[in-house]
Amino acid sequence: MSRSADPRADIATERGAVTLQAVTKRYGDQTAVDALSLDIQPGEFLSLLGPSGCGKTTTLRMIAGFEHPDEGDIQISGRSVLGTPAYRRDVNTVFQAYALFPHLTVAENVAYGLQQKRVPKLELRERVAAALEMVQMRGFADRKPTQLSGGQQQRVALARALVNRPAVLLLDEPLGALDRQLREEMQLELKLLQAQLGITFVFVTHDQDEALSMSDRIAVMRDGRIEQLADADTIYARPASAYVAAFVGQQNFFDGVVAPDGAGVDSPRAQLRPATPLSGFAAGDAARAAVRPEFVELSADRPSGNVNIASGDVIGVSHLGEMLQFLVQLDEQTAVLSRRPTPDAPALSVGDRVWATWRPDAVQVFPAGDAAARSGYVPPPTAAQISDP
Amino acid sequence: MRNLRLPGFALAIPAWVWLAVFFIAPVGVVFWYSFGYKPGLFGTHANDKLSLDRYLEVLTPTFFDTFVATMWIALAGTALCLVIGGPVAYWMAVKSPPAWRGLLLALVLVPFWTNFLVRTIGWQVILAPEGWASQAAQAIGLPAFDILYTRAAVLLGVVYNYLPLMILPLYVAFDRVGEPLREASRDLGANRLRTFWRVTLPLARPGIIVGVLLVYIPLMGDYITATVLGGAKGNMVGQMVAAQFQTAQNWALGSAMAVTLILVIVLSAGVVGALLWLVSWPMRRANRLVLGEVGS
Ligand SMILES: Nc1ncnc2c1ncn2[C@@H]1O[C@H](COP(=O)(O)OP(=O)(O)OP(=O)(O)O)[C@@H](O)[C@H]1O
Ligand SMILES: [Mg+2]
Repeated sequence: MSRSADPRADIATERGAVTLQAVTKRYGDQTAVDALSLDIQPGEFLSLLGPSGCGKTTTLRMIAGFEHPDEGDIQISGRSVLGTPAYRRDVNTVFQAYALFPHLTVAENVAYGLQQKRVPKLELRERVAAALEMVQMRGFADRKPTQLSGGQQQRVALARALVNRPAVLLLDEPLGALDRQLREEMQLELKLLQAQLGITFVFVTHDQDEALSMSDRIAVMRDGRIEQLADADTIYARPASAYVAAFVGQQNFFDGVVAPDGAGVDSPRAQLRPATPLSGFAAGDAARAAVRPEFVELSADRPSGNVNIASGDVIGVSHLGEMLQFLVQLDEQTAVLSRRPTPDAPALSVGDRVWATWRPDAVQVFPAGDAAARSGYVPPPTAAQISDP
Repeated sequence: MRNLRLPGFALAIPAWVWLAVFFIAPVGVVFWYSFGYKPGLFGTHANDKLSLDRYLEVLTPTFFDTFVATMWIALAGTALCLVIGGPVAYWMAVKSPPAWRGLLLALVLVPFWTNFLVRTIGWQVILAPEGWASQAAQAIGLPAFDILYTRAAVLLGVVYNYLPLMILPLYVAFDRVGEPLREASRDLGANRLRTFWRVTLPLARPGIIVGVLLVYIPLMGDYITATVLGGAKGNMVGQMVAAQFQTAQNWALGSAMAVTLILVIVLSAGVVGALLWLVSWPMRRANRLVLGEVGS
């Protein structure tokens, strides 16, 4: 392989790299994926995160070769695969419904891909046994898929894909059908496996916690495009838009206008001042400020200062285990959510009058008119709220 | 209100009663008659003396030849229906635009809107020496052809009459395999042909067996198609059975023939099934995988 001057060019041609260039897919007059560009590094765990119908599955299916883009190019390990049928792509998929072959045993399911490649029988048996060992399903080798629980089927599907040692593994909400506990267990196992094998994982999910806890990078999708592509910390702490802010984690939104001095946002119930003055806004512009619940502190006495403060009545207290969550009503339309670690949580109960404050660096400001329209605490968004702004 | 709970098999009771009264009982009666004899010119059957003599009568060369001819037509007709109907059913279930499928199914059923006999006689008109088929052949410069009252005409009529019975179960079978499993197969490196052999065909097998039996069994007993389009050459067992009951009024002999026919159907289906099972054994063996102690 010849070395080019640009080091990034080498990474893009290494085995396991995936490049999408302005890929568009339309169904009739509906655009499922809209000029989407994405560079996935070899060995990376990348999540596609977004609400239902935003084009995650379509993107994955185009990489796998089940759908063909109307425009744009897809490269795997540095080669365009537009002309390569699915069965010759160096990619395997773990399907949402697993799609295990019901007439084959667990071992035969796992052996299927190796049989297609005409791997010698001895090697095949060893690789199948090792793959089943890896997902702790060795003891189930001779069962039929219908005799397995959902979690066990999921493991078999994983082994069936990984045994082929593909350059890229595509996973379409592989944990969607599992109960919460099993799901968290499998998240951990998947992440460990991926780190161990060094295979590129493209992981589709609409569960933000799953994406945050597992991914090297997250691509937050919206209407067939990528709204933000970054690591979990950045997505969480510095969302690129109110849409991303609302989709990942919970938010208290305050709608208002940019203050005359450009230092922050004035909303009816609070003046919000971020740590640094706003740039790219003019005084009087409609704007939306956001503060995450874990930054909102509550106290019964009025703290000093006039900004980043609001007062209201506690209307709800709930236990989240290690956190206590308070819902504070500022006025008829506006409520603020606060989450405090249980040991340091203030002793407040429903009906108490409180002051809510937050640090300037907890304030984020976005242009108005984006994402959910309500101000105050925005519940974990539903797909409908996000897809029709 | 009290919650009335019926055991699960209760739902199947009407079907069982129906089967018992209208199928098992008549077959039992036929079986019983087959051991009797025809008492004189005007009697149809008597069972006061039981014997296997009627079965000896069945096994004469004439009957034997007709049995062989019937089986030939039935096997060839079933094979033709499978070869023609299989790809159609596969195309309908897998390749055709999903929005068309209801319409395509309805089209397959259209011939059933007309009476079986009328449909078959229709072919007589088409295949007659001065019929459309011959005229059309002459119009494009081919010699006139005359296949009416030949085995070819019988086979043609058989395929026409029985094709929907093959297509429908095969369609359901192919449809039930589902796109996700075929996609999984391709994802794992199998091209379309390999996917067909290793996923679609094994999973559709019950439906294929149903289709084959659904065509083969009635075909063994059918004589209308053969009589109308085959004339004297289209002599089938079903026709002989009917003749014994209706014309010769010898119900005992007719019953013995019917019982023999049933046995032949069951036996031949069993033999064909066993043959297919044997032929496919090497392939199944090659793909079987029992890990045993490997790697553990
Ligand atoms: N085969 C198809 N025919 C027509 N429209 C389709 C087809 N597949 C997807 N779409 C449309 O394309 C859009 C994107 O669908 P896609 O399945 O990629 O969404 P998704 O992000 O995977 O959603 P979910 O989280 O619900 O699985 C949707 O609006 C969907 O209705
Ligand atoms: Mg999807």
